[in-house]
Amino acid sequence: MPHALDLANLPDADVVALALEGREAAHRELIRRYERPVFSLVFRMVRDRELAEDLTQDSFIKVLSHLDRYRSEFKFSSWLFKIANNVAIDHLRRRQLDTVSMDGSPHATTPDAVMASAIELSDSSESALEEMEAKELGTAIEQAIARLRPEYRSCILLRHVEGRSYEEIATTLDLPLGTVKTYIHRARHELRRALEHTRE
Amino acid sequence: MNHRHLLPNEIDLLVDGEAGFGVAPLRAHVAECDECRARLDDAMIVVDALEALPHFAPDSRLAERVMAQVPVFVPAHVAARDSVSRWLPTARPARAAAAVIGTSVAGLLTLAMVWLASRGDAVVFATGLFADRLQSLVLGTARDVVVSVFGESAMATLQASGTLGVAVLVLGFLGTALGTVLALRRLATASSRRA
Repeated sequence: MPHALDLANLPDADVVALALEGREAAHRELIRRYERPVFSLVFRMVRDRELAEDLTQDSFIKVLSHLDRYRSEFKFSSWLFKIANNVAIDHLRRRQLDTVSMDGSPHATTPDAVMASAIELSDSSESALEEMEAKELGTAIEQAIARLRPEYRSCILLRHVEGRSYEEIATTLDLPLGTVKTYIHRARHELRRALEHTRE
Repeated sequence: MNHRHLLPNEIDLLVDGEAGFGVAPLRAHVAECDECRARLDDAMIVVDALEALPHFAPDSRLAERVMAQVPVFVPAHVAARDSVSRWLPTARPARAAAAVIGTSVAGLLTLAMVWLASRGDAVVFATGLFADRLQSLVLGTARDVVVSVFGESAMATLQASGTLGVAVLVLGFLGTALGTVLALRRLATASSRRA
């Protein structure tokens, strides 16, 4: 069996094959590779850190417990994002949590919970002014993303944060390619309008 | 200069960095049209802001929490392969030697089987003799066990009930053993989950 160091260099399909052979290290490698992208997607969908932690955990448990259902003709990451997105969308449908605040979870009941669930942004800009402007734009766009319809939000995050192609997004979200293009076009339009005030 | 301004989907093509044959005229138009260039710049600000968004890190114990709930099964064929590979030497010359010895032993066993098959009568006779002795040994031992544990009367009852009684007794024993194993396994699973 390959060592942990080798696992990091293997393509997803090979790591999945090792996980199917019952190698725990391969399971952990898949989590290591995708915990940040999946958590980021789910967090931006539900806007609640604690909830996003739970939903990310649920997504990984679903994926790793049913690896035998993974079809190797698709990218593993697309399958994983599909499940994570479905978990987040199902939750939003149950809770009807379509619009939320950047300043903390709407379900937070104490000041500490509000602080804990608020989104913190960091940026590596060089000057303080650039940093402030970038943070302002970053905060504005996070707020604007939070106001998008969930299906627009999934599409735009997969396209521009995860760098997925239109075809991959269509496969991941089980949507026709034309619908994905429409959603992304509308999401960009809404975000552009939402950001207009930051440029004035 | 083409005076038709770009359509929204044409702006999207440029935003997505498409590089097809039809995109060159769109780029040429943007280079000359201030209005379309401003629309493209606006669109690019949004895209650049999106692409600069950071990934958030989940709790560092996520992997532990996930793995605590994911059953990891080693399939039988993988377990068998692992067992074999554990016994095999790692050095290449030693592996070659093991292959030569294994092939020789397999060849000798095959020859022995062929020799035995050519003497079918003798094999059948020897097998029958062995089976008879084994049967009498097993039955004798079972009788001794029943008599020593339950007494002569139980043995007499068992003999009176015939084959059916023996079958019921054996099935009862197997059922009890199986039930005990399953109960212990469930108990072990429950306690490991609690832990």
